[in-house]
Amino acid sequence: MDKETVKKVAKTAHLALSDDELERYCKDLGEILDYFKVLDESPEGEGYGVDPVEIADILRDDVPGIFIDPYELLKDMKTYENYVRGPRLL
Amino acid sequence: MRIGLEIHVQLPTASKMFCSCPTTDADAPNTHVCPTCLGMPGSRPVMNRKALEYGIMLAKMLNCEIAETTWFSRKTYFYPDMSRSVQITQYDNPVGSRGTYMFQGKKPVRITRIHLEEDPGKTKRVGDQSSLVDYNRSGIPLAEIVTEPDLSTPTEAREFLKQLIADIRHTIDLPGDGERSIRCDCNISVGTERCEVKNVTGLRNVERALTFEAVRQTKVLRAGGKIERETRRFDEERGVTISVRKKEFEADYGYIDEPDLGIFHIGELARSVSIKESPAEAAARLSREYGIERKLADQIISTSTGLAAAFEHIAKATDAQTAASWTAGAVSAYWKTFETLKKGPEGIADIIRRFRGGEMTDVEADIELRAYMTGTDVRAIKDAGADLSQIVNGYLDAHPEIVGEIRKNEKAVNRVIGHVMKETGGKYSSADIVAAAKSALEARL
Amino acid sequence: MKDVLASLPALNERYSMFSCIASGADTEEPKFLFSAKDNLTSKDMETKCGSRILEGYRPAFDAAAVEKMRQYGGRLIGKNNMDGFGFGTFSTNSAFGVPKNPFDLERSCGGSSGGSACAAAVIEDHVSLGVSTGGSICCPASFCGVYGIAPTYGRVSRYGLIDYGNSLDKIGLLSSDPAALAEFLPVISGKDPRDPTSCAQPPLDLKGKRIGSVAVPEEALKGISKDVLSAFESSLDILRSMGVEVKRVSMPSLKYAMPAYYILATSEASTNLARYVGMRYGRQDGDLSLGFDDYFTSFRSEYFGDEAKRRILLGTYTRMAGFRDRYYAKALKVRLHVISSYKKVFEDHDAVLTPTMPFAAPKFEDISKMTPVESYSADFLTVPANLAGIPHLSVPCGYDEDGMPIGMQLAAAHWAEGPLLTFAEEWGSAFDVRRPEVPL
Repeated sequence: MDKETVKKVAKTAHLALSDDELERYCKDLGEILDYFKVLDESPEGEGYGVDPVEIADILRDDVPGIFIDPYELLKDMKTYENYVRGPRLL
Repeated sequence: MRIGLEIHVQLPTASKMFCSCPTTDADAPNTHVCPTCLGMPGSRPVMNRKALEYGIMLAKMLNCEIAETTWFSRKTYFYPDMSRSVQITQYDNPVGSRGTYMFQGKKPVRITRIHLEEDPGKTKRVGDQSSLVDYNRSGIPLAEIVTEPDLSTPTEAREFLKQLIADIRHTIDLPGDGERSIRCDCNISVGTERCEVKNVTGLRNVERALTFEAVRQTKVLRAGGKIERETRRFDEERGVTISVRKKEFEADYGYIDEPDLGIFHIGELARSVSIKESPAEAAARLSREYGIERKLADQIISTSTGLAAAFEHIAKATDAQTAASWTAGAVSAYWKTFETLKKGPEGIADIIRRFRGGEMTDVEADIELRAYMTGTDVRAIKDAGADLSQIVNGYLDAHPEIVGEIRKNEKAVNRVIGHVMKETGGKYSSADIVAAAKSALEARL
Repeated sequence: MKDVLASLPALNERYSMFSCIASGADTEEPKFLFSAKDNLTSKDMETKCGSRILEGYRPAFDAAAVEKMRQYGGRLIGKNNMDGFGFGTFSTNSAFGVPKNPFDLERSCGGSSGGSACAAAVIEDHVSLGVSTGGSICCPASFCGVYGIAPTYGRVSRYGLIDYGNSLDKIGLLSSDPAALAEFLPVISGKDPRDPTSCAQPPLDLKGKRIGSVAVPEEALKGISKDVLSAFESSLDILRSMGVEVKRVSMPSLKYAMPAYYILATSEASTNLARYVGMRYGRQDGDLSLGFDDYFTSFRSEYFGDEAKRRILLGTYTRMAGFRDRYYAKALKVRLHVISSYKKVFEDHDAVLTPTMPFAAPKFEDISKMTPVESYSADFLTVPANLAGIPHLSVPCGYDEDGMPIGMQLAAAHWAEGPLLTFAEEWGSAFDVRRPEVPL
């Protein structure tokens, strides 16, 4: 895998890599993808692949309710007037 | 010019899409939240049955092919309002695809797909220092309707959206303030490359944003420039669109399936769900079946579907022409009061049938109708014959041509004044009569 | 039990098996003590999942499995140390010290539920909750010489589990006592409306039939250390003496399981880990005046460990437009193929039997020399059953010349935990398990 691809992947994943890391992950990912090549020749199965056993039609009734106090959930967050503080928007 | 729309509709469920937090307006930010819609580690989504049903109903309304089996996907992107940095949406096998929606009864607009997804929270800017986020909206169910670029002008796009919203509102009982809860991404190309204007709210803004874009793109092309594929946003205050990002910098969403929800065999459910006839369909059918003008059919339908039902009753009891003129006149005039009485339309049809059979005059029929539709006694109405609006209405019913004349030329109202003055011996001032005539006219279509 | 509680700090000093220990006196004597892998949320204890990025996360809710163990009368004594987010085979990827093998402190406990296996081996009458994505229960059970079961996907509610790979994660149990698995699996199993994937299960049948025949795939005996192979061969003799039929079979699909597993696991993991951006929970000490992309990036780069970054990169790549079909979509279809090839074997046999790991617990100095591919390949025996979502059990089956434990693994059909649990108890009376010396 080339460095440009790893850089693009890292940008998408929101990771900044040092030169050293870039070098290392480039090599590692290349080896791992080589190791994956055997997959190309694998037969394929039938059905839906979302889960390994079929999980179908599990639905919840549309009944509103709050079971955990929202203030309890906000207790460890950085907040301002009950808004959650986040980084600057562009 | 080719215009395609991506319409996001908030579905009127009582609880959120994947958790039970209420969808009603909250008193304070972050009070309708739980671990699931805050994306806390260890939380899990559970699908709301009602949201899935609404999705199926809209897919049916849009004449989509409904998937036998549907499931959800994860769209990964980073933004402070997206609590998991992942939006649960649909990618492969959405609820509906390949639909057609008939615009104004004559122009088919192709529907690419309709899928379900969750709304993110809302962000607020505070100076240049940081952002503030309210996750109350996080997890509200949305249906996204994607059209093919089949619309030709900004005005047509607005009219299309107006009709579509009315139909959506009717199909899933979306409350009246529904227009604010509908957001739109507009794709427009004057030449070959298209631009997308994201997140436009309201019909008027859709038309404004598209008009601005059409002019901008035309200018660029005339000057020999090239339109770049990009995402833009609409500045409501200034009425302009602004470039947000070019195509090559667009995020790679890296869609994968959502294992936490499993799959949904909706084919059977879709066959068992029936939807009400949409307003646009009903108007098209009235016009077709009864040979009345499309404009009148639209007016009847937009007043209420009950009025449309009354029209059909009258038409069956008499004929389409009689039904059209009475529905547009007296029946509409008393409709508001009549709806509060919760009576059936059969009584109305019966009165008009008797008039048509020569059993009474038009003035008598009007009195009968008024008594029946407003819940008053016939004698009381006759006794109060001097009642101004009664006299005005009676006169207008007997001389329906005047309604049209007044619309064309306000001075024609003098004929009403003259008639009433004569009837009542100058009991009412001409200003009162004009006012009564105006309100009587407004109640008529 | 008071003695155990009092000895926890000293035990942890020696073995680093917990990332957090219960404090405070008991109001009443609990029925039993248990510990839980630190990717299961707990109301009264910080839950860090082996990663610095989650430092300070105090969940407002107990994971379903923890809640059920408490309701059954258990007391949670600590959160088990683990590879960050479950990313590892040796528990060396924890940000909070590395758990040590109770048989040799220079060696690994295995991973990623290393702390859970260590606690199960060291503490008397102990049961711990582990989580397996690709072998994270059976691997450490094998290295620490204890019993471990990972049930069918969806058998135990994942409510409160901090996700690694949502279509692969399974919560299970580790203990030195095989009867404990049979006692506690019914406690933590069952439908939970808070986790839809738990709602498709049939009832757990413990009176089900015993395992009468096992299939040993020849592909599983290649690349196995000499000691493991000889312990495994002797175990086959014990099995035959127990009346179990042993048949050699061929399962060519097993070789596709590794790449399919790593693609699915990392694709899912990279989306699960997208939420860690320095807002809302865990560490939130960045500079908010940075633009959000820069803030998120700097935060993630600083607090994710090396292996987490590697798997995020891998998983982001395998689901990207242009590569998705070749990797992610293909892996989904290969999983279906692996599942159907297991089903075929289960038509004639009750379980697939292999060694659990290709070698006994390695020394830390040898682990540090491994490349990622070498350490990923160490999971080649545990991964296929995990990919297929079938229940699997590791039992101690021998010791090498250094006295390090060796384990073997039985994988059964979907939902057939019953025969595995029956087997564990039978095996317990046929095989002498050694306990490590605990000098405290």
